[in-house]
Amino acid sequence: MTSSGDTVGASRLQPALGSLTSSPAVTMALLFAPLTLVLLVAFVWPLGQVLLNSFHPNTPQGIDSTRWTLDNYARLIDAHYGTILARTVRISLAVTAISAVLAYPVALFISRRSPRVQSWLILAYVTPWLVNTVVKALGWTILLRNNGVFNSILMGLDVIAAPIRLLLTETGVVIAMIPGHFIFVLLPLWTAISSLDPALGWASGTLGASPAATFRRVVLPLTLPALVVGLTINFIMNMTAFAIPMLLGGVRNEVASMLAYQIDLVSLDWPLGGALAVVLLVFTIALIWAGQRIARLLVPSPGARE
Amino acid sequence: MSLDIVGVSKSFGGVKAVSGVDLAVRQGELFALLGPSGCGKTTLLRIIAGIYPLDTGSLALNARDITRLPMHKRNLAMVFQNYALFPHLTVFENVAFGLRSRKVGGDDLARRVKEALSLVRLEALAERYPAQLSGGQQQRVSLARAVAVEPDLLLLDEPLSNLDARLRDEMRIEIRDLQRRLGITTVFVTHDIGEAFAMADRVAVMREGKILQVGQAGEIYKHPANRFIANFLGPINELAIATVEGGRSRSVVVEGGQRVLLGSGTKGELAAPGMRLLLRPESLQINPAIGATDNNLDAVVEDIVFLGGSTEARVRAGSLKLQVSMSSATASSLQTGQMVKVGWSSADGVVARDQ
Repeated sequence: MTSSGDTVGASRLQPALGSLTSSPAVTMALLFAPLTLVLLVAFVWPLGQVLLNSFHPNTPQGIDSTRWTLDNYARLIDAHYGTILARTVRISLAVTAISAVLAYPVALFISRRSPRVQSWLILAYVTPWLVNTVVKALGWTILLRNNGVFNSILMGLDVIAAPIRLLLTETGVVIAMIPGHFIFVLLPLWTAISSLDPALGWASGTLGASPAATFRRVVLPLTLPALVVGLTINFIMNMTAFAIPMLLGGVRNEVASMLAYQIDLVSLDWPLGGALAVVLLVFTIALIWAGQRIARLLVPSPGARE
Repeated sequence: MSLDIVGVSKSFGGVKAVSGVDLAVRQGELFALLGPSGCGKTTLLRIIAGIYPLDTGSLALNARDITRLPMHKRNLAMVFQNYALFPHLTVFENVAFGLRSRKVGGDDLARRVKEALSLVRLEALAERYPAQLSGGQQQRVSLARAVAVEPDLLLLDEPLSNLDARLRDEMRIEIRDLQRRLGITTVFVTHDIGEAFAMADRVAVMREGKILQVGQAGEIYKHPANRFIANFLGPINELAIATVEGGRSRSVVVEGGQRVLLGSGTKGELAAPGMRLLLRPESLQINPAIGATDNNLDAVVEDIVFLGGSTEARVRAGSLKLQVSMSSATASSLQTGQMVKVGWSSADGVVARDQ
């Protein structure tokens, strides 16, 4: 009896469901819609506003949306702004480059531990990201100041005679930014290395390749795409970082995000802020594109993969 | 190149995977490690390759000790179950991989890669990537990659298990031919009895990390050292020996009360109560010619199963049930319920211990 009842119920439901999911295209669109909607309202629309604003003049009465101008972009062509942009890129590239060098040894080390140890180690590397940035920056000021741990150790080992100035310098900002953003490089790389078939390493080894050669000829080319993904995210995080440069670099080491804060929230010059945002966006995309081209040149034939 | 394995053991977390293995593989031989899954055969192969360090024992390749030598210095090559082709390299570069490790370059490299590829008839696919090849083609690339370096020892780990049945039969012959032509000493691992029998010069049967018996396929099949091997290698009739006749130890009474004669080669200690007489179904004959067999029992045919080329019959002699295998031509006149004579030559029976 129950089974016949079920059948009737199911057949009644069929037309209603059928009309909703008649084509796979509609189903896909329905699955896609919620996030797309959020992104349209909360990201694309404001970004469009920013873009439009950047072409309107700013007046004492507010944004004059009746007139169009390139003036905001012209104002950005300025030695001061150029210095800030160069510093932002310099710090971001330094952090990304150092993370790139550190990533392989760490990822290889973790991937060779037992699954249990692996999850603990990954947790350990996520922790710096989980700590509040302001708290983290405060911690770094203690470590980096003239009589802090860094200088004490270096002086204790007689590496340096006088303390190195790290606080309120670019170097200090770079040192402090590495741990928090490192996980974005480590995670994709660790995933890629862990999912490599161990037989590939054995095949390489039995064919006469030393462990170093196996890394260079097999592991590196097969995991470089994952590293590039991680470095891309890392670079974006560095370009947009605010609290660490603010608290450890200070106003003398101003970066783009601090400049944007200054223009948008202190001077309230939204058209100029819009122009700055557009320039930063284009710049970041261009750098990422260039980075991926270089990565592709390093691994000439990623080939057809399964 | 001969391979000598002496007293090799290996445990993983307290579990013995390989225990006290002694084995001597001769120059140019195609040697099979045969056993059910989990018997330690793949572990032993990986120990030989240098992938796993061994706990105790030693390995020598052509009298040169390689026990502590890292795998990249052993000058061997291995074909993996999933082929382990480098997905980012073309077929050409896959085959060239080991040669580049050996600093072979230029024209020499191209020539040797071409040679290796022609051995497996894949010259035309040199510029393809592994993902663009069929399973059989990947298998052959993997073989070419291994033989290109002219290894002292070739190791094959279940080389045919990922291929479909028809291709597997082809590759058996192809690998066998290639191995003979190149004369490379080869050890391969398989759980497939047919594969081991068809390809190997000699077979070692493994179980629970130990080697139970080593010998030519036919020899092991006919004279299994124990019941496990006998059953593992194919269906077999087991007759428990109940009592031994007075002074003549060759004449025994088996379960069901039938009196049978053991082979003249049977050792006295084996012809004892508690042992088992093992008879292959194909050793049994229905209505044998008079005098052809020295053991003959009256039996009734209970079931006939047609299997194409061969036919299987289940017969019962008293309470003793026996499985008989014969050619279908011989079986054509056989009918269920028919009274027959079942006979076998005592020389075809093997007496074995329980283990």
